Amino acid sequence: MSTHSRQALVMIRTNLSSLPRRLAISTSMILSVALVVCVLAGFLAMAKGFETALNGAGSPAVAVILGGGTNQETGSDIPASVIRTLDAMTGDLGVTRNADGQLVASREIVVPVDVKQTTDGAARTLALRGMDAVGPSIRDRIELSAGRFFAPGAREIVVGDRLANEFGLAVGDVIRLGAVDWTVAGHFSAQGSAFESEMWADLEAVRAAFDRQGQVQSLKLRLTDPVTLKLLQDKVTTITGTPLVVLSEADLYAAQSGRTASLIRLFGWPLALLMAVGATAGALNTMMSSVTDRTVEIATVRALGFGRLSAFLGTWVEAIVLAGAGGVLGLFASWAIFNGWQASTIGANNTSMAFQLAVTPDVLVTSGLLGLAIGILGGALPAFAATRLPLTAALRARG
Amino acid sequence: MTENIAPYIALSGVRRAYRIGGEMISIFSGLDLTIPQGDFVAVMGPSGSGKSTLLNMLAGIDSPDSGTLRIGTSRLDQMGEAARAAWRAHNMGIVFQFYNLLPMLSVAENVELPLLLKPLSRKERRIRVDKVLDLVGLAGRAKQYPALMSGGQQQRIGIARAIVSDPGLLLCDEPTGDLDRKSADEVLEMLRFLNRHLQKTIVMVTHDPQAALYARRTLHLDKGDFVEEKRAA
Repeated sequence: MSTHSRQALVMIRTNLSSLPRRLAISTSMILSVALVVCVLAGFLAMAKGFETALNGAGSPAVAVILGGGTNQETGSDIPASVIRTLDAMTGDLGVTRNADGQLVASREIVVPVDVKQTTDGAARTLALRGMDAVGPSIRDRIELSAGRFFAPGAREIVVGDRLANEFGLAVGDVIRLGAVDWTVAGHFSAQGSAFESEMWADLEAVRAAFDRQGQVQSLKLRLTDPVTLKLLQDKVTTITGTPLVVLSEADLYAAQSGRTASLIRLFGWPLALLMAVGATAGALNTMMSSVTDRTVEIATVRALGFGRLSAFLGTWVEAIVLAGAGGVLGLFASWAIFNGWQASTIGANNTSMAFQLAVTPDVLVTSGLLGLAIGILGGALPAFAATRLPLTAALRARG
Repeated sequence: MTENIAPYIALSGVRRAYRIGGEMISIFSGLDLTIPQGDFVAVMGPSGSGKSTLLNMLAGIDSPDSGTLRIGTSRLDQMGEAARAAWRAHNMGIVFQFYNLLPMLSVAENVELPLLLKPLSRKERRIRVDKVLDLVGLAGRAKQYPALMSGGQQQRIGIARAIVSDPGLLLCDEPTGDLDRKSADEVLEMLRFLNRHLQKTIVMVTHDPQAALYARRTLHLDKGDFVEEKRAA
């Protein structure tokens, strides 16, 4: 080990060993860093959870056709003629066909319905999706977790697990949606994705209950392979009369999640950075106090021949260690508080979408790095000040 | 003040002034001093006479505005701060009035500090530390912490730290200023031992006439100049 390393190690050790002398102010620095890290981690976990819920809903192997020039289901309308034209197309469309040679497709509409919560009786707007019988099987990662799927033509719904838990909807329960009663036929799991915030029912039953005869907002098709999306897009462009958009289900939900997640981050980052500036000022104050407290020690070892670098590193590492401790505390707190926290927001189709906050490794790393940055920046100036202490302080000071 | 034999410390025409409140206050305006190797010099004088400034310059903590300052073969007045720090680490030990021990380090770790600046192995450092602790009568106290020890013992740790790297020069800044008479005499006896038996050159600033009696000669400083010299009988 070089003499410089030994000097630095001694200074670091003496600084850290003397921390109990500055317990209160050191603790306040740790707590302020922890708060910043925890707040940022909370926002990032919210954005990550929202993204996870929506991204999990989309499959690259499912194509979505929207009509009316929009790229969202809300406001989309696909005329019946378009569907007839597609059905009549022969040859390879890149879409899976059933044994009869018909396209595996589900016509769908989404109707916002108000449902009262069991906890406080407040109404929330949820998505009731009407679909053809093949609708559930077209999608990836959908599993029946209780009961059965809806019967064709019946006023039955299957409810996503998350929604069923939140609203206490058991199989066999009857719930009023709009002007008519619906029976809960089953629950389905969608691996925690946004689909679990929806209720699914037969298309014709929904159309009849909500006076939407003949309406189709989106057409879902099972692709033979994700790469055949381009082929389908080319085929659809030959259909004239109404503007149509063909995209993968993954892209549809990614676009929706991206906007909201960006909004969450856009709010979270400035707030966290503003708090970080305050915490950096606090760190600077703490470390200046540390340098003052150790003036005689620093001047003494420098009078013995220790270099400026050791004085700098001793103070700087102390700041980084304190910030690191704050970061770890903040990360632990954020994980304990936020990870798995149930949240909901207005998602696609102006309906409520539930999701879980996710404190993932990248959230931990990003938030932790901000905490360390506070120590690195807040400790640099006091560390520099430590190198400029007059050595005469050692000769006549009471140590 | 000059010596006929080759001087170990030589100050010639040293000038030093400080700006205080916009006014230049001259401390030295042409100070001359020579100290031969192996001497034990006590520097006395009233407050403001320049004792601290002299000690700071000899320690390489301060430097003269003009004039020459040579210790051994080294011209301290021509060195930069980093070079003076390196020189200090290898050629000089400092004994402080208030000991300046690091309370969170053990006795042995405090004494070891100057050795960390030298390319020595852990074992070599430990041998040297044990040796000087034995010399100052603190063998067996290596693992204790200074705060639990008396002032006299703490100053002996300070002396052990000052001599552990075997420097030729010891600078002592009021080494007995914080001690009772008995402890002060023990420390001064130790300094005399180091001077007489280990041939350390010692410059000691003190206000205590009793302490000065342990030196080979005493220089009286007043208003930046030496006004009197007494030699021990």
